[in-house]
Amino acid sequence: MFKVENMSLYYGDKMALENINMEIKEKEVTAFIGPSGCGKSSFLRSLNRMNDLIEEAVTTGSIKLKGSNIYDRKYDVIELRTKVGMVFQSPNPFPMSIYENVAYGPKRQGVRNKKVLKEIVERSLKQAALWEEVHDRLHESAMKLSGGQQQRLCIARTLAMEPEVVLMDEPTSALDPIATQKIEDLIRELKNDYTIVIVTHNMQQAARISDKTAFFYLGELIEFDETTKIFSKPKYEQTEKYITGRFG
Amino acid sequence: MDKAKKRNRRIDKIAKNILLFTAILSALFIVLIIVIVALRGFRPFFLSYDGHKVSFFKFITGTRYFAPEYRIGYIIINTMYVVLLSVLVSAPISVLTALFVAKMAPKVLSNILTTTIEVLASIPSIIFGMFGKGYVVILVRNFADKIGIVTAGGQSTLATVIVLSMMIMPTITMLSITAIKSVPEDMEHGSLALGASETQTMFCISLNAAKPGIFAGIILGVGRALGEATAVTMVAGGRGSGPTFSLFSTTRTLTSTILTGIHEANFGSLEYDIRFSIGLVLIVVILVVNIILNAVKKRLGRYYEPS
Amino acid sequence: MNRVNKRKVIDTSLKVITYIASFIAVIILGAILFFVFSRGSKLLSFKILVTDYHSKPYRLETTVSAKGLSFENPHIKDAYFSENFGFAVKDDYTLEGIKTIRFVYIDDNSPLKTTINEQGEKSPFKEGFIFDSTMRAVLEDESTVTIFSRYGAENLVNVLSDAVGIQTANVKSEGGGIRGSIITTLYLIFLTLIIGLPFGILTALYLHEIAPQNKVTNLLRSFIDMLTGVPSIIFGLMGAAVFIPLTSALFSNPDMKRGSVIAGALTLVVIILPVVIKATESALSVVPKSYKEGSLALGATKTQTIFKIMLPNALPGILSGAILSVGRVIGESAALIFAMGTFIGDKISITGRSTSLAVHIWSVMGGEIPNVTLASTIAIIILIVVLALNMSVKVITNRFMNKYK
Repeated sequence: MFKVENMSLYYGDKMALENINMEIKEKEVTAFIGPSGCGKSSFLRSLNRMNDLIEEAVTTGSIKLKGSNIYDRKYDVIELRTKVGMVFQSPNPFPMSIYENVAYGPKRQGVRNKKVLKEIVERSLKQAALWEEVHDRLHESAMKLSGGQQQRLCIARTLAMEPEVVLMDEPTSALDPIATQKIEDLIRELKNDYTIVIVTHNMQQAARISDKTAFFYLGELIEFDETTKIFSKPKYEQTEKYITGRFG
Repeated sequence: MDKAKKRNRRIDKIAKNILLFTAILSALFIVLIIVIVALRGFRPFFLSYDGHKVSFFKFITGTRYFAPEYRIGYIIINTMYVVLLSVLVSAPISVLTALFVAKMAPKVLSNILTTTIEVLASIPSIIFGMFGKGYVVILVRNFADKIGIVTAGGQSTLATVIVLSMMIMPTITMLSITAIKSVPEDMEHGSLALGASETQTMFCISLNAAKPGIFAGIILGVGRALGEATAVTMVAGGRGSGPTFSLFSTTRTLTSTILTGIHEANFGSLEYDIRFSIGLVLIVVILVVNIILNAVKKRLGRYYEPS
Repeated sequence: MNRVNKRKVIDTSLKVITYIASFIAVIILGAILFFVFSRGSKLLSFKILVTDYHSKPYRLETTVSAKGLSFENPHIKDAYFSENFGFAVKDDYTLEGIKTIRFVYIDDNSPLKTTINEQGEKSPFKEGFIFDSTMRAVLEDESTVTIFSRYGAENLVNVLSDAVGIQTANVKSEGGGIRGSIITTLYLIFLTLIIGLPFGILTALYLHEIAPQNKVTNLLRSFIDMLTGVPSIIFGLMGAAVFIPLTSALFSNPDMKRGSVIAGALTLVVIILPVVIKATESALSVVPKSYKEGSLALGATKTQTIFKIMLPNALPGILSGAILSVGRVIGESAALIFAMGTFIGDKISITGRSTSLAVHIWSVMGGEIPNVTLASTIAIIILIVVLALNMSVKVITNRFMNKYK
């Protein structure tokens, strides 16, 4: 799905990511782990060019999505983001009804037909395992939902766009254990249809739900392998030190 | 040592009492205002001035304002009409300007505009009135001449609406800027991450989320427009009967009625006291409008209650 | 790709509309400033600040004789000198823009200096007086000739050179100035601040330092807050119904029943009260708690702490409040129209009636033929002052906020 070649990221003069090379496979869950400030979130945001919003950010190298370099001048950023969705660390529902939140993305792309929208909303909420809880109050404010429900709403919102990739930036760090559990179950379901890349500072979570894991440290990609291998027999000393909790 | 302590305690007590006294006095002014306006304002309806007594019902509902008939029914309608038009004109312009300053403009432009708006906000109403009477009125007159409508020298509803719109625009804009700037960045990022364009995000998310704050600005603007006296008096024309909805006819507001002819009125006469009655009506109108608009604001904010 | 293009078109149109809407504000400000400065700058001079508004007419009652007199010409530029009467005049315009003849020089020994007017007052012609009507001169052969001002200064001097006396003359002191209004405004600022600042500061001190956090205090606060929403015309009604009778009775002066400067000032005090209170309270809240606690820990009384520690540290904020109040006083019109009247005065006193600068604009703009020029000149002054005041408040607030960071 993604082929990253010699990609580096600078914030002004500071180097945030150095020479990343990686391939992210389709319909898998790939986890990024590493101590705070190692660049994993920055890298995640490069995948849908959210770093463009930061003025001093400069990206070199290439990131190819299904063969096309997304950092090419001609590549439409907006279209990229319809293909690569993102769920944020703290749930950020819009101050609208639940229905409007989910329908937001398709509406902005020009979908007007009410019937079509209704279908999209229902499908997405079901995929996000939220339909049962909200189907009878779709027109109530999204802000009234609990934290966990809001996060699933954000996931539903993203799924409504039928993306190919779903990026998740520490999606459960603001949630309680039960909500976290629900979302992890959800991710396991979703990987049948979507490619998922998840940043997490919770190693156990990475071990639980991901197929591949990448370990970042100080802006470099230290090790990238199958999750089982990373957590049982890491190749590099730093990886081992982090996993065993000696720092981080 | 003991004597000093006692003296200090007494000083403290005296000081506290003085401060308390001034505070209570300050708080009483609003009561004073309402009481005085009400007392004097009720007199025309209960006392007889040289055999004249004004019927409250006729006062409130009538359509002519010539002595000794004081009917302000039509004036109330005209006031609301003029204020409504002013809001309809200035609100969109103000909100778009606020969006521009808060989100769209490069920093330099943003600063220039902010300064412009702050300067406009600090211009006293008498100067707006002077600009209105010396320029806007003439523009209206020339325009009306071109399209073949007769005006009273240009003093008209249209001129009043133009002047009022200019005056309340800075208020609405400044509050809207604050409201738009307080929309959490996270929300805007969420919209962008879904593939919405920057412009779409600005209009569908930033403006949308700022609705309560923007509306608060509009409410403040309405209050200012309802209470504006000098500028309106200079451009409205002082119409004696009505109500009138034509843009080119002269008009009258509650405030301009209170202000006009104040010097011909003798203290304590009907002519004088009736102005307090009008003042009372003005206060009630402002209160009622505020209550209604605040209820609307609550309804607008129904999607913003946190869990 | 049709949907994408459609969206781009909508986006661009929205952007264009937003740009246009934003520049309306600039256009409005530009129009107002252009109007005010272009109309008002011609009258803007030191002269207008020091001249009375009402011109006083002087009519000669006794004949001025110039028999056998001769005076030295001081050679004033553009002026015509009358040798026998000892004065110089030039063609000029009054402050109101009317063509006239102005006396620019009168010799100390000129017979003009011994004239008496209608009221029997010794009112010698003064430099700066204006001649805009008629004068009757007496010639050698005892016949009279009438001189009209519209024929100009040179004509006046020429005709008089053959004359031996002036029988009647209608001259006047120049009017159209705003001296009275400027002084009134200054009086108002002074009185309002002298009364309003202590009042507001003490109230703020009570609310912030002493008042318990209970319902009564909240009630007090909301009552004071409500004052900010009151339109100024209602303050005017209050001023007329309360302060005018009050001051009239206090000074036992029935003339004050139609308004007075002091009544205006009292009305303004109520208007600026919430401004001062708010500014003082916010200044007090920025003072670090440690200052207060330190003072009390050292054994100082609450009173000492408030007045020696809290208050001085809140001074910049209080200053802002004072400056904002001054701006409000200068700009206020409706309330003063009621409490002070609209008669433009030249002799200013606390118990008298006159106009502030803003009300002066109201007075000259009223009626059939508004004096837009003079109004614009006053507007220039008001605008410059108000803008300068607002800027200084910004500077103070910035410095003050940074002090405690």
